[in-house]
Amino acid sequence: MTALLETPPALKEFLVANVPRVEVPEGEIPGVEHFERIVEQYERRLFGFALRMTGNREDAEEIVQDAFVRAYRALAKMSPEQRAELKLQPWLYTITLNVTRNRLRSKKPTNVALDALADPDAIIHQNNARSETPDEVIQRSDEMAMVERALLNLPVHLRAAATLRFIEGRSHPEIAEILQQPIGTVKSHVHRAVRILRRVLGPQVGRLIHEGDAAHALP
Amino acid sequence: MRCREVVAAWDDMRCGQEPRREDVLAHLRACVDCQAAYAEFEGVAYCLSCLPTVPPPQSLVPRIMAHIKEQCEQVRVRRMIELATVEAPIGTLHVGYRDSGIVFLFIDRGEGVQAAAEHVKRRLHVSAKLASGPPPHWVREALDAFFATGRTAGAPIDLTDVTEFERSVFELTAQVPPGEVRSYGWLANRLGKSNAARAVGQALANNPIPLLIPCHRIIDCRGRLNRYAYGVELKRRLLEIEGYLQEETAAGLRSS
Repeated sequence: MTALLETPPALKEFLVANVPRVEVPEGEIPGVEHFERIVEQYERRLFGFALRMTGNREDAEEIVQDAFVRAYRALAKMSPEQRAELKLQPWLYTITLNVTRNRLRSKKPTNVALDALADPDAIIHQNNARSETPDEVIQRSDEMAMVERALLNLPVHLRAAATLRFIEGRSHPEIAEILQQPIGTVKSHVHRAVRILRRVLGPQVGRLIHEGDAAHALP
Repeated sequence: MRCREVVAAWDDMRCGQEPRREDVLAHLRACVDCQAAYAEFEGVAYCLSCLPTVPPPQSLVPRIMAHIKEQCEQVRVRRMIELATVEAPIGTLHVGYRDSGIVFLFIDRGEGVQAAAEHVKRRLHVSAKLASGPPPHWVREALDAFFATGRTAGAPIDLTDVTEFERSVFELTAQVPPGEVRSYGWLANRLGKSNAARAVGQALANNPIPLLIPCHRIIDCRGRLNRYAYGVELKRRLLEIEGYLQEETAAGLRSS
């Protein structure tokens, strides 16, 4: 059935309650313009997630767009009680993940084009605290590309777990909610992802891993 | 602590959630294998956290919003339903329609038009606004034609709000001529889904346009009237009016 796209009156209260630091002016008609605040607040996160999951900017943009359209429709269809119980952030991640899965399923998963994900500019910006020589930057971008490729070669469920845990920085309970799996399953997926990545990356990115060792040395 | 428990705990420790932190650290200091595994784990986590953050293009938010607005507009234009009240031989009817056809029909048994509006919302997830006057002439004509001849084939109905399967059931049901009946199984067979008789029944139970989609002409394969959303009495009466049931057979059916 085509989903309803009218905004119910209670959406305004919901948006006020769920979007911190955003004031909805009194007397304004609740509607699309309020949803825009949600989009503004979450698009970066969801885009980053979709990008890591697909390795392709265009795909990620379309996924995020599709996910927000779905979210808007679903919100409009919900009852006020359902909306009050909704945890917006994990829910948006779940929708994004579902859209991503559908897309990956219909696409051939091999050899994803790494759409300049590891472009040296981004890496320079990221690390401008430590001055690196151009050679270092290039080497670093090669290493990053390797990490990206390794991540993209993981099975989707492990990739999602690892991305949410280490790149998005979500907690185990939150990931469990997003993936709709028990926490134990999430933990084991994260561990399996790490073990595979370590095996794939180990010899090549030894330097990074050793930096990591230093950064997270035992207290 | 055993190695296995420690492995399970150290990722929690990263979020500061592990209550047995000291135990974990004590174990790590003592166990060389776990130390190595921990270092590897942290190394991989570090690699992943180093991946550059790529910001979405600035055009993304406006594009998303434009897309949503466009869809809203399309849907609003297509979906707006007006709800008007008409008097008919079997009582008061509330009929929902839009330009493309009749979407909804509610037989009033004293609940009033508001109940009809709520029913539309629940059934089709579409809100209806009350019409300011009588319905357009084509709505009236379709209803008059039904009450005069029982004819339903070709009535101006709009089934865009129901599922594909429901639509196929309803379209086929509308072909059943007055004075005749079919069984749920017959419909299922005709749809090429011979096992779907119950699904057909389920679809008809949620028929948004009773009368014009004559779900009252569908009975079970043993000739029993089965059920009707507005009460089986009304189903019997409709079938009597259409001449399928004689008064006395109806009485016989009532007692069986």
